[in-house]
Amino acid sequence: MRMAYRWLAMVLMLGLSLSSFTASAAGEFAEQKIVLQISDPNPFKQTLVLNVAGNILRHYGQDRVAIEIVAFGPGLRLLFAENANKGRIQSLVDSGVRFSACKNTIRNMGKKLGHPPELNPNAVPVTAGVVRIVDLMDKGYKLIKP
Amino acid sequence: MKTTFKKTLIAAGVAAVMGGIAGQAQAANWLFLQGTEPEGTAARAKVWGFIQAQYQKDYSDPNASGGYIPPKLIGPDLTTQESFNVFRARVGVRGTGFPLDSKVNYFFLVEFGNNGITQPGGSFAKITDASITLNHIKGARIRMGQFKTPMSEEVYQGIAIFDYINFTSYAGQQLIERTPNQRYSSNVGPQPLPMDLSNGGLTQFDKSVSAARDTGIQIFDTFKVKNWEHSYSVMIGNGNGLNYTDNDNNKDTYLYLSTEYVFSPKGGPFRPGVKAYVWSQSGKRLLDNTNDSTYNPQEHDRKRYGIGFKYLKKPYRISGEYNKAEGMIFVGPHSPTFDMNPSVPPGNGEDGEADGWYIDLGWYIPGTKWELDFRYDEMRRLIDDPFETKWKTSTLGFQYHFNRKSRLTVNYAIRDVTAVNYGSGAGPNANLDGIGDRLALQLTHIF
Repeated sequence: MRMAYRWLAMVLMLGLSLSSFTASAAGEFAEQKIVLQISDPNPFKQTLVLNVAGNILRHYGQDRVAIEIVAFGPGLRLLFAENANKGRIQSLVDSGVRFSACKNTIRNMGKKLGHPPELNPNAVPVTAGVVRIVDLMDKGYKLIKP
Repeated sequence: MKTTFKKTLIAAGVAAVMGGIAGQAQAANWLFLQGTEPEGTAARAKVWGFIQAQYQKDYSDPNASGGYIPPKLIGPDLTTQESFNVFRARVGVRGTGFPLDSKVNYFFLVEFGNNGITQPGGSFAKITDASITLNHIKGARIRMGQFKTPMSEEVYQGIAIFDYINFTSYAGQQLIERTPNQRYSSNVGPQPLPMDLSNGGLTQFDKSVSAARDTGIQIFDTFKVKNWEHSYSVMIGNGNGLNYTDNDNNKDTYLYLSTEYVFSPKGGPFRPGVKAYVWSQSGKRLLDNTNDSTYNPQEHDRKRYGIGFKYLKKPYRISGEYNKAEGMIFVGPHSPTFDMNPSVPPGNGEDGEADGWYIDLGWYIPGTKWELDFRYDEMRRLIDDPFETKWKTSTLGFQYHFNRKSRLTVNYAIRDVTAVNYGSGAGPNANLDGIGDRLALQLTHIF
């Protein structure tokens, strides 16, 4: 019986650690937690949000900061598969930055396109971009909208 | 020679295609910069344009018998030896009309300045570019509409960033094509100043220059192999410049190949790299050269081809080209017959040949906003013809870059033009002697 409880505890702990992975591998231990919003159609905003992410990483170091970029509305174009910034996005992902894509926007864009937009494979769909931002802020993330 | 040149182009193109990954280039790759937008980031409609305000002074002497020929006067109007001018004023819009699908791009540009595009016919404005590019097929982008034809990069590059004010003699005469007048139009001789414009003065062509553009369809792309970019373009067009539709049931074909080693992906049109390119275009033109009331044009071949290179890594720039022309050799805006003297056989450019080359050097002075430029160019016009002329120009220049989009360009051109088969003052040299130097200032602002 005791062995069963130990196994149950180990499974629970494993499950908790896996679920917190969705927050960040470094998230729980990061000194700073930043959520960057991109929702503008202006192409310069795409460059700007990537620049800001890079600047934050350089300042704090990738092991001391958790960054998530949430894209919704017209800003979701940043996470289109063939976006001209995909190289920079991959580089940021390799440094631990996460990218979230709003499912509401994906659905609406799909209606206009006639098919779902093809997204960057690093983009993680979330139920709603603004809800994701609120949840992250509840977890101590600071919101920055360049 | 011509068949071998084309076969070489095709073979090189196949090699490039098989060796790389189709990709997008937005730097000094003019196939892309003039009509293609970066995927996923382009605006729905971005207003773009530029203004080039000029001052030019020509120091040529009048002809021995009085009067002036076009090289001694300031274009496009050819009515004076000194003038201010709004030479180019272009505004347009570009982007992706449906941002969710950035595979479809458009480019639209209108010229309001006073130059060879608008001066003939006194146009208030002229559409220079109206194109749609489809980027759906990797390795084979498709562009359709009116747009620049890939060719000599002196002409093909964006004119707003051109390091000189005037083209080389060869480019200005043989690549900026003058479309023949539909009906026979007789030449005019040298004219005195002030110019009597009741008969058009020295500008006898009645249509816009081609401005290195045509209406047609193009397939192109760039393939990236590590730091190398290999590009190709195949285009078919009406061969009628800015006049939209075909006028002779013949189509021009345009071929272009380039390969570039890119030092750094950053820099926009000034991306550092070393590039080599070859190109050709061939077509036919209708020219009515019989002085009668009957419309009876004859077809003449028009071929242009060349090879060039460019090295750019600040603070240095070195570039050069060699180009050849066969058929429809332009012999002056005052000679719509393409014939220097219709009363004698020599000097007829219909089936003549010309060639030209240049070397260009630039030094972006480190730590400053100054740039020094030097270009030497030569043209042989009507090669092996008794009226063959040789044009030599040394252009000294400097530029001051106020910022990335605004600069002042000053050029001083030292010119020497000679009819090689005649002594000083004899034959064509009676008019060519006395072609002097030219000072030019230009202020450019891109917006």
